Amino acid sequence: MHLEGKEKGGALNQWDIGFGAALLIFALWALFFWFPADIPTGFFFVNSVGQEEPGDAFFPIILASLLAGLSVIQMIQSWRDRRSNAEKDDGGSINFPNLKFLGIFLTVVGVGLSLMYWLGPLTVAFLNAAGLLEGTYRNFSDTVPYKYLGYVAGGAVMTLALIIWAEGRVRPVAVMTVIAVLVVAILLFDVALRNVLLPPNADF
Amino acid sequence: MELVFEYILRGVMEVFFTADGVFDWLPIAMVFGGLMTGIAIGATPGLNGPFAMALSLPILIWVFGVNDEALLPILGFLIGIMKGATVGGAVPAVLFNTPGTPDAYLTTLDGHPMTKKGQGPKALKVAHFSSVCGDTVSDLVLFVAAPVLAVMIENILDLPEKGALIILSLSFMAAVAGSSPMKGFIVGVLGMLLALVGSTLSGNGPRMTFGIVELGNGLPLTAAILGVLIIGEIFIGLEEEVRKKGQKLRSTLDTVLGDNTFGWSERRRLLPRIGVSALIGTSIGALPGIGTTLAATLGYDVAKRFSKTPEKFGTGIPEGVAATEAANSAVSGANLIPVMSLGIPGNFAAVFIILAVESVGEFTLGPHVFKFTEIKFIEDYGTIINHDLVIAFAMFTLMMLANIMNWTVGGAFLRSLGVLVKVPKSIMLPVVLLITLTAVYAQDGGFIGIWVLLIFGLIGYALKRLDISILPFVIGFLLSPRLEEYIRGGYSASGGDGLFLLKSPLAVVFIAASILILVLANRKRKVPDEV
Repeated sequence: MHLEGKEKGGALNQWDIGFGAALLIFALWALFFWFPADIPTGFFFVNSVGQEEPGDAFFPIILASLLAGLSVIQMIQSWRDRRSNAEKDDGGSINFPNLKFLGIFLTVVGVGLSLMYWLGPLTVAFLNAAGLLEGTYRNFSDTVPYKYLGYVAGGAVMTLALIIWAEGRVRPVAVMTVIAVLVVAILLFDVALRNVLLPPNADF
Repeated sequence: MELVFEYILRGVMEVFFTADGVFDWLPIAMVFGGLMTGIAIGATPGLNGPFAMALSLPILIWVFGVNDEALLPILGFLIGIMKGATVGGAVPAVLFNTPGTPDAYLTTLDGHPMTKKGQGPKALKVAHFSSVCGDTVSDLVLFVAAPVLAVMIENILDLPEKGALIILSLSFMAAVAGSSPMKGFIVGVLGMLLALVGSTLSGNGPRMTFGIVELGNGLPLTAAILGVLIIGEIFIGLEEEVRKKGQKLRSTLDTVLGDNTFGWSERRRLLPRIGVSALIGTSIGALPGIGTTLAATLGYDVAKRFSKTPEKFGTGIPEGVAATEAANSAVSGANLIPVMSLGIPGNFAAVFIILAVESVGEFTLGPHVFKFTEIKFIEDYGTIINHDLVIAFAMFTLMMLANIMNWTVGGAFLRSLGVLVKVPKSIMLPVVLLITLTAVYAQDGGFIGIWVLLIFGLIGYALKRLDISILPFVIGFLLSPRLEEYIRGGYSASGGDGLFLLKSPLAVVFIAASILILVLANRKRKVPDEV
């Protein structure tokens, strides 16, 4: 039991130190690479009456410097805690099963969103090529069924895949629920609210 | 005093009448709709008030727009949800022994044994009565404390002190919310840094956007907040569902056999206990960052400690349910004290109130709201009045309206919601994900909102898994633009003095207190481990 605690405490401290190190690297990268390249005005600028005023980089540099300093303190503190109290159990961790879950989850979401984005335009392009339709997806992004194709297919695939993954089986109630939700979303976001667009129609 | 009453009266009128003096039913209907939605959401395990507020806000904005007239109906609905969800949380805890939130766990201790004894409906009546009592007490304290605090703050604090106060709030939240104060404060600073993407005070073009044109106006605020709060939770919830694949929620609702009457004599008997718990909840709720769990735990503990029959707690007695529910419900109103007086949100529900206020109309929250400007009518000009103060009193009126509805119809609605507990999370979470993606896309008008949502969802997931509180990150993200304004303004006003923050004694006190709180919280955290 004692050994188990020590092993667990050591591992957790590594996460603590890793957390500090990751944010320290981020802060240093922001200070030396990101901000110089991506903030038009500097730390100070001279205004129209010749006075020196804080520029747009003023506050980000203060925050990034503070973040770097706090990250160093965090790393030192984690290191000291590990030496003084190896059995401390006060933090979480991200392990391989977590990363595996995230990988699968993001893949499912990615496939769903890709379908949502591309299915409508690809269908229109295909029908164009077949000579059945004339015009780009933009011309048909407010026409049924093209405007719903991507949303319905992508939404259904993403939602059903996640439900089936979580339950380990396909249930009629899950399919019916997803269909009902898609219908309600279309009625609400497309029919009832005239000034908003369903995905991906605002992007075309 | 006459002026105060004049403003209160105008606030009440603002809710019930249009500018033309015609009776306006809309805010009342919105409070009612929000309350019922909130109770239903609270009664559904896995959902909570902030989640419903997050999803409702974009829809409400589309329906009502962003002009001044839209503010009260939108706030009415959000306030209704906030109050309803607090009450609704008792349903799964009492009937099915499945607490939807950590504080509801305390309600299960006596609530579910009452259900087992055939007193489920009575337990819900006690929970509802105590919850509404706690909420009302808390609101009354809010109505008095927020203006007084705000007037004091506005008279005392200038730019450096206001900036230092935000830092103090952040360190306090980091210290009390989550297991590691230092990590909490670090993610608060990280949230502040990310909030600066796109927006600039100087107007010299966007910054920190990696050349992404869509980020020119800043990260989409609602997508970012929804991502870290809701999507992160969905990741975690779905991962748990995948892990326990195939397990079914077992209904343990027993046949109602026992005595379920809850008469006035029994209500009177419980009132002192409810009063104590309400005061505990209100005191805790007034401090930003401290959640309902501590209030519920303290409320239950104090009730048990001072009871003549402490051994009966946990066996299914109304006192146990009343003590917990009064305490955790009293937190919600008091949590708005820092919002109304300082503009600093103390919990997630308050975050969405601030988001609504910032998205709709001209009204802004903060100490300036409670300036009792003398009301004067000037010919050919109009009336000189602090309209923000009228809106603040209108908000208080909406809260009281929600309380009255909760007292009258909330209980009956609450007791009819046992069926919602059976909605499986494995279906609900993916559906919620789809609705959130759709809502964010529609609000931001493009996939940029969805990408921000997912990236912030990953941040939320990582913070949860690393056992770091999300609240400092969200608060830092929300308050960063204002802090930048104070810091840059303070620096310019001081004539370019780099140590301007340290020239104000009060700002020095706030900064010193921030450091002290973090140091003490870190030390305190270590003590139990070393024992």
